[in-house]
Amino acid sequence: MAYKYCVAECWGKGFITHDDASKYQVSGFPGNVWQIPANNQDANLWVNKVAGSFKTKAEAQAIVDVEVTAAQAAWDALPDEQKQQPFNRQRPTAIVLE
Amino acid sequence: MTTYYGLYGQKVQYLASDPTDVQTGQVWYNSTSATLKVRQDVTTNSWGSGGNLNTARYFNAGMGAGTQTAALVFGGFTTGGSQSASEKYDGTSWTNTPSLPSAVAAITGFGTQTAALGAGGTPAPGTANVLSWNGSAWSAGTSMGTAKYGALSEGTQTAGLVFGNVYGPDTVAEKWDGTSWTTTGSLNTNATGAASSGTQTAALIFGGGGPPMLNRTESFNGTSWTTLPGTLNTSRGASLMGCGTQTSALAFGGDTNTFTATAATEIWNGSTWTSNPTGLSTPRSRGGGNGTQTAALASGGFNNTTQVNATEEWSGIVATTKTVTVT
Repeated sequence: MAYKYCVAECWGKGFITHDDASKYQVSGFPGNVWQIPANNQDANLWVNKVAGSFKTKAEAQAIVDVEVTAAQAAWDALPDEQKQQPFNRQRPTAIVLE
Repeated sequence: MTTYYGLYGQKVQYLASDPTDVQTGQVWYNSTSATLKVRQDVTTNSWGSGGNLNTARYFNAGMGAGTQTAALVFGGFTTGGSQSASEKYDGTSWTNTPSLPSAVAAITGFGTQTAALGAGGTPAPGTANVLSWNGSAWSAGTSMGTAKYGALSEGTQTAGLVFGNVYGPDTVAEKWDGTSWTTTGSLNTNATGAASSGTQTAALIFGGGGPPMLNRTESFNGTSWTTLPGTLNTSRGASLMGCGTQTSALAFGGDTNTFTATAATEIWNGSTWTSNPTGLSTPRSRGGGNGTQTAALASGGFNNTTQVNATEEWSGIVATTKTVTVT
C-alpha cells in the first residue's frame, strides 16, 4: 500500500475520531509524524482537519531519524544499572517508514 | 402484509423532532424532516484520540477495573526516572490528583478511580509495598507477601489479585481480601511483560515475555490457572496492555520480538483471539490499559524512542441513529 506523511501535533480528544479510524488507519511515529493511506480522500481531508503539513517520505524519515538518534543518545547516557532493568526500556532501534 | 405493529405490537411514533431518550431498535418518523429513523448499534471497533496525559510516562499503572470515562493512572518512568504523578480521566481530559508519597514505576494498579490499590514497583528488583487511594489521597497499605516489579493485577480495593513479576521466573499469585494477602494458585508460565483482564476470581492473562514474546492465554478460576488453547495472533510482551473480563477481553500494543512497539489489537470472545483490522494510532508498549472490551482506554507508554502522553479510546459498539430510505 502507498502512504503519505504529514506532521501534526496531537491535541488530544478529537484529533483522530472513531469516524476517522473506521475509514482509514492513521499511524503515528516519533516527531509527530503521521502516516495515512495515499489514495484515500477522507484520509487526505483529515490532514487538513488537523492542520497537518504534508511531508515527502524522505522528509518524514529524516524527522523520525532525528528523534531516534536523540533517543539513542539519551539511552547511551543512562547509568548501566538503569539499562539493565528489565523492561525499563531498550536502546531505541531505527524506524524505517514504509 | 407484515407491519411494524404486527411485529412489535407498537405503532411507529410520529414526532416533530427526534426523541431525546432513544432505545436501540426504536423506530420513529420525523415529520419535520419527513424521514423514517431507527436507532441501531453499529460495531466500530476502532481507536480514537482521547485527551493527552499531563505527564508523558511509561510503565505506569492503569486501573484494570477503571472505566474509559473514569480512569486513574499513577507512577511510571520518564526520561528522568521514576516519578510520582497521579492523574484521573473523565472521558475528555486528564486532571492531576495528589501525587504518590514517593516516585515509583512498574507498579501495578487495580480498583476504581475512587478506590484503588497500587502494588510493588521500583526500585528493582521490586518491593512488596502497597499504596491505597481513597479518591483524594494516597496512604500506605498492607504489604504483599512477595516483592513484585511490573506485576499484573485485577479486582477491587477489597477483593484483588496480584500475580507475576518481571524479575522472574515468578509465577506467584496473591489474593487481597481487604485485610490481608494470601498466596493462591501459581501461574503455569511466568507473567513477565504480560497483560490481564477480569476479576479476583475470574481472571485472564495473555502474552508476555521479553523476548521471546509469548502468545499464551491462561485463565484463573479463583483457585488455579489453566492454559487455554486460544492464543494471541501476534506474540507480544514487554509489556502489552489489556482490559475487560475473563470471557470478553481486549489486547493491544506491546513489543514484538525485536522490541518494536506494535499497534496490533485483538479481541477475545472466551475461546479465540481475533485480530482487529486496525490498531492503535500510536504503537506503544508499557502503557496503561483500562475499561472493557467495548470501551477501553490506552494511556501513556513507550513508542520505541520515548514516553508518550497520547491517550486513545477504543469503541467497540456505538449507538447510531440512521435514516431509513423507503422505496
